[in-house]
Amino acid sequence: MSLDSSRSANSSGGQKSKRSFNNSTSSNPSNYSNGNNNKKAKPSQKTLGAASWGANSLSPSRSSFRNAPFSDFGSYMMEKNRKLHDQFDAEASTSSHSGSDSGKPIFHGISIFVDGFTIPSSQDLRGYMLKHGGRFENYFSRRRVTHIICSNLPDSKLKNLRSFSGGLPVVKPLWILDSVVANKLLSWVPYQLDQLANNQPRLSAFFAPKSSSVSKDVKPEGSSFKGGTSTEAYFSDLGESSEHSRQISRETDNLVNRNSNASLVTEPTSSCGRPFEVTMEKPNNIDADDERSVRNELQTSPYQPSALATSNFVENHDMTGSPSSTVSGLSNHRHSTIEDPNFVENYFKNSRLHFIGTWRNRYHKRFSSLSNGFNSRSSNIKASAQKTAIVHVDMDCFFVSVVIRDRPELKDKPVAVCHSDNPKGTAEISSANYPARDYGIRAGMFVRDAKARCPHLIIFPYNFVAYEEVADQFYNILHKHCNKVQAVSCDEAFLDFTGSVEDPQILASRIRKEVIETTRCTASAGIAGNMLMARLATRTAKPDGQFFIPPERVDDHLSQLPIKALPGIGHVLEEKLKKQNVWTCGQLSMISKESLQKDFGMKTGEMLWDYSRGVDDRSVGVIQVSKSICAEVNWGVRFKDVKDFFQSQNFLSNLCKEVSLRLQGCGVQGRTFTLKIKKRRKDAEEPIKYMGCGDCENLSHSTTVPVATDDVEVLQRISKQLFGYFHLDVKEIRGIGLQVSRLESEGLERNSLKSWLTSAAASTEEACNNSCTALVRSDTDCEGQGNEILGKICASSVGPSIEMDNNISNGEAFLNQVSEPPPLCHLDKEVLESLPPEIFSELNDIYSGKLIDLITKSKGKSENISSSSSNSHVQVEGAMKTGHMVLHSDPFLQHEIPVENRHIAMEDQAVLVSGAESNNVVLPASGIQKIDLMPLSLSQVDATVLQQLPVEVKADILQLLPAHRRQDLSSNALSGPSKETPLELLGTKTAEDHSVSKGCVSENNLWAGTPLQWVVKFKVSNCLILNVLAEMYYELGSTGTLSAILQRAISLPKHQLDANRDSWDEATYNLCDLLKQYIKRKIEFDIEEIYICFCLLRRFAMKSEVFLQVYTNVFPYLQASVGENYGGNLHMSLKN
Amino acid sequence: MDRRENQSSEGETARILVEFLEVAINSIVFLKGVYPSGAFERRRYMNMVVQRARHPQLRDYIHSTVSTLLPFIQKGLVERVAVIFFNTDCIPVERFVFKLIVNQSYGSKLEEADLEFSLRAFLIKLSVSESLTKALPRDCRWEIIAYFRSLPQASMSKDSELWTPTDTRQWQQPPILIPIKSMSSEPLCLQLYLEHPSSSEPKP
Repeated sequence: MSLDSSRSANSSGGQKSKRSFNNSTSSNPSNYSNGNNNKKAKPSQKTLGAASWGANSLSPSRSSFRNAPFSDFGSYMMEKNRKLHDQFDAEASTSSHSGSDSGKPIFHGISIFVDGFTIPSSQDLRGYMLKHGGRFENYFSRRRVTHIICSNLPDSKLKNLRSFSGGLPVVKPLWILDSVVANKLLSWVPYQLDQLANNQPRLSAFFAPKSSSVSKDVKPEGSSFKGGTSTEAYFSDLGESSEHSRQISRETDNLVNRNSNASLVTEPTSSCGRPFEVTMEKPNNIDADDERSVRNELQTSPYQPSALATSNFVENHDMTGSPSSTVSGLSNHRHSTIEDPNFVENYFKNSRLHFIGTWRNRYHKRFSSLSNGFNSRSSNIKASAQKTAIVHVDMDCFFVSVVIRDRPELKDKPVAVCHSDNPKGTAEISSANYPARDYGIRAGMFVRDAKARCPHLIIFPYNFVAYEEVADQFYNILHKHCNKVQAVSCDEAFLDFTGSVEDPQILASRIRKEVIETTRCTASAGIAGNMLMARLATRTAKPDGQFFIPPERVDDHLSQLPIKALPGIGHVLEEKLKKQNVWTCGQLSMISKESLQKDFGMKTGEMLWDYSRGVDDRSVGVIQVSKSICAEVNWGVRFKDVKDFFQSQNFLSNLCKEVSLRLQGCGVQGRTFTLKIKKRRKDAEEPIKYMGCGDCENLSHSTTVPVATDDVEVLQRISKQLFGYFHLDVKEIRGIGLQVSRLESEGLERNSLKSWLTSAAASTEEACNNSCTALVRSDTDCEGQGNEILGKICASSVGPSIEMDNNISNGEAFLNQVSEPPPLCHLDKEVLESLPPEIFSELNDIYSGKLIDLITKSKGKSENISSSSSNSHVQVEGAMKTGHMVLHSDPFLQHEIPVENRHIAMEDQAVLVSGAESNNVVLPASGIQKIDLMPLSLSQVDATVLQQLPVEVKADILQLLPAHRRQDLSSNALSGPSKETPLELLGTKTAEDHSVSKGCVSENNLWAGTPLQWVVKFKVSNCLILNVLAEMYYELGSTGTLSAILQRAISLPKHQLDANRDSWDEATYNLCDLLKQYIKRKIEFDIEEIYICFCLLRRFAMKSEVFLQVYTNVFPYLQASVGENYGGNLHMSLKN
Repeated sequence: MDRRENQSSEGETARILVEFLEVAINSIVFLKGVYPSGAFERRRYMNMVVQRARHPQLRDYIHSTVSTLLPFIQKGLVERVAVIFFNTDCIPVERFVFKLIVNQSYGSKLEEADLEFSLRAFLIKLSVSESLTKALPRDCRWEIIAYFRSLPQASMSKDSELWTPTDTRQWQQPPILIPIKSMSSEPLCLQLYLEHPSSSEPKP
């Protein structure tokens, strides 16, 4: 045992110990970031935070479960929470009575949950909440908590933000403090956790280190994990500086240094728990950046022998190409998908169109508050006879002048902007200044042609950072002078000065002056009576001038104007018109509207007719909401051969990443996904433009998913599937684009009760129509009987038949009333009080704050009210979709039960359809007490109705029947053996569980009992796949693991594996639930089993849509669980 | 191999576990081909053919490392035992991680046969899992690291002093896990999985 010097150096202590075989002395202070090595011994290695969050909240640790004296953990927690609440209430009341120092109840309706270490401590925060009328939750609950307070979040939670926060705002403790200081409730938005807030302006972060300044723009929701702009800044600096350096030999050394620098820099960021995406991608970027810079060097001095060596050095990282190819060839290869794994990212990083496209989004964020104000009154103004004054402001050759604004000596030299300055290249000029235009240089021209016309043309690369800065300054000025601004592009906008006392010409010149002073770039302005003429005026005004077209001069101005100048007339239209011998607007205006519409279609014809007369009735300030979001790459797309599957897949997933980022940037989620592919035409030759797309066929496939998403993984899955539909030779692909449409904004609206009510209204209407027959039946049935009884029972006012009656009217009330809330006096205080705070506060908003008064007033006399307001009771409940009526079986109307249930079932389904999150469907416990009111035998239960019921309701009903009755049922609904199962609490089913989002695991423990709960549940389901799985369980002798069941099911024919539309939601919901609970149960002890299950699931997903959905839903949860327990991600490659 | 009947069950579990770890680590080192196959010899363990290092120093390293873990395992202090393969830059290429959970409060008598039954499955799976692993670079090194739940007491035993606190170089990204085998047979739950650097791990 001669091995160890380390053995003699015996210091002990330290949580990790090792003995090295080879005397390794690597000691690096980087910490293992998975948080598994806690400082202190803990019985279970989970952090406390994890134990009380969302999905885990129900059973924080196994050990405590065992020791608990309560029958199950859920009831223990319920009891504990109740006690904590009581304590809190008691303290709150004493502190509020204690007089002077108790504060204003600014936090009324706010209920916070403090996660982890905060400054001030959670106890202090609790104190604030006590003092100022808020609530404090010791345990996280989606229903009770309104805000999560924390200072820092671990990686795993960031990555899966939704699964732990349940979509609630995650706010810094400063919010509480500031609110207390301000003595009013401040908006939490600016206090959103930095880690979350930072990610939002991610798209602009693509371009700039400047993004840190943007990061103040906060959006309420959104998934997470970006940040670390400092590293980005660092990298882009590197890129720039290296481009300027000239000496290649030194460059080589620098590169080496930088590469190592890069890895050094990233280390600390990740070890201190920085979100990981940045570190993941940037080092690759720097690689690419460096290579580009090397390429630039090479092009300037292509004859130097050392250049080859350099390039080899850099390229041989991952380039297998032959070093003997020419230098330029070598570097150019980099720019195709063949060689560059980060092609997509670099592509968008260097794309001007991308900049312009995403700029709008950025603008909306920055200036949305400014531009919102005027939309509403624009129509009124139109009506008034005021003279309109529209100003069109346009920066002069924006992309050039920004770049040379600090270099006045270049002002009179021909300058153009282009991403490459290779004089022989086919890169396209994107913008040229006026001296260059004098040489005939135009945007879109190849560099080589431009150089031919003007050999001393100076070409600059893009400087997106500067563009962004100047555009922001530009718009700041515009918004300062005018409150009606319509942004056309980053350098162009319309202003509406209608009604302004000052002369628009003076205003315009003032704006221009200010623009020049601030940005050192010139702008031109056109002033006229409408947008069209203002724009045309700008044309005349350019460069650096302004031009006013008074109404009487419009015709003069237009008469000689070439038609090409009109917006909306492109090459094709121009050619057609020229064939008719129309060259100017004057000639165009001679043609009658009818003949124009005949030749060019209704819309275009009308447009031409209007425009040729200078008529344009668009109003300034209409900002279109984007209907779809798309990322497309049509340049440099080349895949080597069919076998090179990996490359195209990699390309696709990067594209998805980009799209997902754009979605998140816009704060929307989409449901329809379209994959567009440009395929080389059979006879098309390699395009003139290097790496261009050339002559292509455009193909597309699309699919729609039930739940809108912006999740990268879902996008990747879907796009790969779509890609598969094409059956293409990847060699033929010249461009790929992914478009997402049917956008749903994920922002504020999603949680707003109002929007939910409206959406629910539609679905209810449908449901009501469906249930029409049922309703009518119950109506007529109870009409005679019920009215009588009504008379009798009215006095006692709680008779079930009244509720029955209300139930029916409720359906009608729905149709009429949902859009506007019921009057205040109809609201039941009890219901209101028991509402979760967030819903309450929203309702309160709807009633503009009157609810709180109502509640406080009602405290004293609540007893009287509760009996008198049974009518409104139902209404509110109806609005909340509480389905209060289930199993309120009426002793007088026993045969009604199936019908009634059916009606409720409809409501239930409506909830499902509307997919709202915030329902708290609590079936009253009274249902249980009335078990004996259930029909005595099955003859009274309509079996077909029973079959139609959603599985939960059915299971409930079946369980409510005493065992001897179930014998009858089992012949009907159950076919297998079933033992007595404990009564399921009716109240546990919440609508939140319905939504198949990555939400919480439901409270029912599906993996408990004999036979397992899920088997019982699946058995009675009317969904084939669920039945099949339950059968598998029995076939395997009731001992099988899930993997065994799945293994067996894999041989099933395809049609058995899929669900039809009706049972789709049921199937996905149940399977997701089953899997999540299984993961929870097994993750700590048997990761292998989970792994096998998911490998099998993936195979199912290829065959079955349902399983695909299930897989995509549960997969993030799986990875989060694995991350929590093992500090890594499960290996789930697509290759096998 | 003398098994005293009077030993407590957890002591017995820990002893079997340690023995098993030694065999498993031998197998892993053999599997990875760090040394020429001639450096190993065929042996029999639990009725299975296993490989054991022939070289005394290597064999002794593994043996002494694992056997000094025994007191810690008995106390339930050891959470994970990892066999880590490094490249020349001391950056881990692959980690074999054994995650142990020993139920300290397991009262009834240890069913040794059950345990061996499970462990055999483990060894079989291990011997065929080469395809899951990564090819090692030349000149790689390896070491055994144990992750403790808490700091071992300084004076616990003479053996414990052979263990020194350490830091190893870690990946910057959460690794990718490939489960190899999990077994749960009261009172022992043992899992073996592979950790590979994630694909986004920055290359040095």
